[in-house]
Amino acid sequence: MSAPSAPTPIRAAAAGAVEARKTYGKGEAAVHALAGVSVAFPAHEFTAIMGPSGSGKSTLMQCVAGLDRLTSGQAFIGDVDISRLDKNQLTLLRRDRLGFIFQQYNLIPSLSARENILLPLTLAGTDPDPAWFDQVVHTVGLGDRLKNLPSQLSGGQQQRVAVARALVPRPDIVFADEPTGALDSRTGIEILGFMRRAVDDTGQTIVMVTHDPHAASYANRVLFLADGQIVDTMEAPTADRVLDRMKRFEG
Amino acid sequence: MFRLALSSVRHSLGRYLATLVAIIAGVGFFTAVSVVSDGVIDSLEGNVDDQYGNVDVAVVADDGGSATNDVAANPLKVPQATVDELLDLDGVEAGAGVLTSPVAFAGDDGKPFATGTTGRLWVEDDELNPIDVTEGEAPLAPGQVAVDRGLADDEDLAVGDELPLLTLAGPQDVTIVGITEFGDSDAVDPGGTISISPDDAFDWLSSGTRQYDSYYLRVSGSPDDVVSAGSDVVPAGFDVQSGDEFRDDQRAATGGFANNLKIGLQGFAVLALLVGGFVIYNTFSVIVAQRLRELAVLAAIGATPKQLKRSLRAEGLVLGVLGSLLGVAAGYGLTLLLEAILQATGNSLPGGLSFSATNIVSGVLLGTIITLLSVMSPARKAGRTEPMEAMREAAVEPPRPRKVRALLAVVLLGLGLAGMLTSGSLAVVGASAVAVIASVFVGAPYLALIGAAVVRPLLQRRGIEGRLAVDNSVRNPRRTATTANALLVGVFLVTFVAVAGASLRDYVVDEVNDLQSADFMISTTGGVVDDDLVSQLDDVDGVEQVVAFQRQPVVIDGAASTASSGDLAALREVSGFDIDEGSLDDLAPGTIAVLDDGEGTPSVGDTVPVGSAEGETVDLEVVAVLVQGQDTLQTGALIAPETFTEIVGDAPPTIAFLALQDDVGDSRKDDIEDGIEAITDQRPDLTAMSGNLLGELIGTIMDFLIQAVTGLLLMSVVIALIGIVNTMSLSILERRRELGLLRIIGMTDKRVRRMVRLESVLISMLGTVSGLVLGLAVSLLMVISINLHSDLSLTPSVPVVQLVTILVVGVVLGVLAALLPARRSTRMEVLDAVSAG
Repeated sequence: MSAPSAPTPIRAAAAGAVEARKTYGKGEAAVHALAGVSVAFPAHEFTAIMGPSGSGKSTLMQCVAGLDRLTSGQAFIGDVDISRLDKNQLTLLRRDRLGFIFQQYNLIPSLSARENILLPLTLAGTDPDPAWFDQVVHTVGLGDRLKNLPSQLSGGQQQRVAVARALVPRPDIVFADEPTGALDSRTGIEILGFMRRAVDDTGQTIVMVTHDPHAASYANRVLFLADGQIVDTMEAPTADRVLDRMKRFEG
Repeated sequence: MFRLALSSVRHSLGRYLATLVAIIAGVGFFTAVSVVSDGVIDSLEGNVDDQYGNVDVAVVADDGGSATNDVAANPLKVPQATVDELLDLDGVEAGAGVLTSPVAFAGDDGKPFATGTTGRLWVEDDELNPIDVTEGEAPLAPGQVAVDRGLADDEDLAVGDELPLLTLAGPQDVTIVGITEFGDSDAVDPGGTISISPDDAFDWLSSGTRQYDSYYLRVSGSPDDVVSAGSDVVPAGFDVQSGDEFRDDQRAATGGFANNLKIGLQGFAVLALLVGGFVIYNTFSVIVAQRLRELAVLAAIGATPKQLKRSLRAEGLVLGVLGSLLGVAAGYGLTLLLEAILQATGNSLPGGLSFSATNIVSGVLLGTIITLLSVMSPARKAGRTEPMEAMREAAVEPPRPRKVRALLAVVLLGLGLAGMLTSGSLAVVGASAVAVIASVFVGAPYLALIGAAVVRPLLQRRGIEGRLAVDNSVRNPRRTATTANALLVGVFLVTFVAVAGASLRDYVVDEVNDLQSADFMISTTGGVVDDDLVSQLDDVDGVEQVVAFQRQPVVIDGAASTASSGDLAALREVSGFDIDEGSLDDLAPGTIAVLDDGEGTPSVGDTVPVGSAEGETVDLEVVAVLVQGQDTLQTGALIAPETFTEIVGDAPPTIAFLALQDDVGDSRKDDIEDGIEAITDQRPDLTAMSGNLLGELIGTIMDFLIQAVTGLLLMSVVIALIGIVNTMSLSILERRRELGLLRIIGMTDKRVRRMVRLESVLISMLGTVSGLVLGLAVSLLMVISINLHSDLSLTPSVPVVQLVTILVVGVVLGVLAALLPARRSTRMEVLDAVSAG
């Protein structure tokens, strides 16, 4: 778990990658999902990753989040080179420092909403900060639903639980993979609003993969990936500008 | 639809593996049991042909079906005078007499070895002699013996060896001149055979009297003529049979036992198959649930419910036939393995491997039918699939078990309990027991829920994985219940046999021990209990009194039997004779006390003719009828010494009862036993039996039976284990998304595996505990109702050690069953788990 000895160019970032490569297959048939990506996700900011299907956007996020391993290069959480960690250390790192939101809400069906939200803390054996818990729950608007089982909640409500679960442990960084993909647009806007507020109000760092230009417009910055490489960056994006940029991939 | 079924089976063989294993294990066990018992039957019947194949006419003691002769090993013998007459009959070509007695070799240090071997008169007629000399020559001259191959190998004996043989006539210097074999095996006699020349045999095996245990004839003409002519020649108490008749009797005596054994063993094999049926049912239910979408698509594009049902049944048929064929092969493999193990330990499987069409066909049929029956209900469920299910997003949580189910379980339980405790007939008790068992099956999903509620607080303290394990175990209570039920059946049967068997054993042993008896008994096979021996025994510290008496085979009222005489007053002191009728005080010359042998026993005041092979036949008045007990079974009828001599001639004492001093404890009893055995070991013809030996013997036999049955039942427990592996694997597959999430947000692999293990142990504990409680309850209730409704009074006996062992085994099984699924649970990539679907 120790920091790498060599100085890194992204010390100030919450996470990042240096010369990250991810190759599937060998020789002629090799597919380069990531073809040498170097990136830094600044702390206390909301970064969106976009790109056409097969551009490597999900692979990049998964490798930086310690869910998948790079073929070569390095991935960092803070100043920890996670490519040096074993499976168990990665799990503990994810538990203690990262939060996750998925398209499928991925709640545990036998646990109540409250228990689902507290699950990462329960796993770590840490007591929650009650004030913070209340604040998050209040923000995502789940106050009277905490005792319900996931099967008794709507899709939007389940995703709120998932967002709360990612935020309550105060992780260094939250990774979100198409968090609004399964929701109707109104509920999606609400969820994105919670994420934006978490960055503005509490300085949370968020990295989100999406293909929805409107969702990307909630970010501070958008990274565009194509063929395993970062091809463009857009600061202070709006939905229209993102859409235009995306159209150029298709052309 | 059949093609679809076939490709579906081929496509997902992995899924069906557990089903296949369950079928293979059950059918394999069934086949192995059938083959082994067939082998035993064949070899026992084959031995009869080997041994008596050329016998045309047999002269045997006619025991008249009396029970007494089985225990008093002292049947009537064929005297030489009779044999001479038989050999003179028309058409008789040759004769062979059987004469056996225990012998042993003495080593250089004077200590006996090869004890338990049988000395056997060498038969000179080649055709009638079942023993072949394979090395050296036959023992025909004085001082020559032949030993069987097994004995020669075990004791390192060879042709030319000279050593002392312990016989009834004391130690004799003999020379081994030949090595013998008997058919496919080494020896005729279980403990080994030492063949003795005709010159020595009567002195060494029969104290000099020329007589035979039985006598066989080879004839040239029709055996029937010789049978009828022979019947006039033999004295009372003997039967002359044709060779066929005789062989049939022998076969019935040996093969009948093996046939019963076979039926019993097959019963347990079928039980194992039924447990396998649970596993199959379970797997198919899960498979139907898994393929819901596929089935729904089929339904949407126009497959009728009937076609869906048929498709599933066809899959069952394919699996059933495949599994059963493999099972039959596995059964033969198992038998080969057994044979190999036996050979490694110097034994061999009786009868060897026999391929019989009956065994193969019945194995395949049984396996296929049980598989088909087990897929009936899942197939019906598949038929009910709605096209809508194809569109549904996530799998629907299975419904809670219905209220009707609980009601039915409670009603069954109530009826069963009431029936067992109040009914008048044992048939109703049996039916009620079945109702109690059925209630547990029906209510099993509720048991699962109750069990989960009970352990939840306990496991919650073991961390979130404990809590999740409990939740998962009852997420589908019916599936959990079916899985646990397979184990429940096995554990129930093991417990039932343990408790009911132990209760029954204790009862029988107590009953036997209640029969009064002498403390010790010394008897000789063909020798004499002389004054020397009596005084030696008397000198053993702790022995109060030694009473030697004469025991001889006699013919009472035409039936071969046994009678004893001697110092009757002393005999009554050391033994416990129970009297039905009359009094032993009236036992004067000219009278007899007979043994109660059920139907046809003479009453006090009757006159019965009593004779023997040698002496006169005298009419005696019955003055007492003795109850069959341990001692009376040894003595047989009692006759005053004067009259006894008149009937059997001047017979020496051949048996002695010993009384110990009153105050000896158990530990001292062992010392006394050692002292007595030190004396009897010096003479191979002597047998020392502790008075309660019969009880011990019966206890040992019952224990062996209980253990053998338990061993067989454990087989079904192993099959149940496969069921747990199966259910766990499938439920892990179903929950891979959840497991993936848990690992992503920080549950280490170790904890994930622990969670899977805990769930598995929960299921196995559910099966074990409910099986144990059910087994205990039903067997205790049985004991109580048997006591209520019959003359027996059984004391319920709870073998605590065994029950605790069963519990521990249940936990271990759960952990074992989780090994594979637990590994699988963390082998999946976390990403697959969340990104799939």
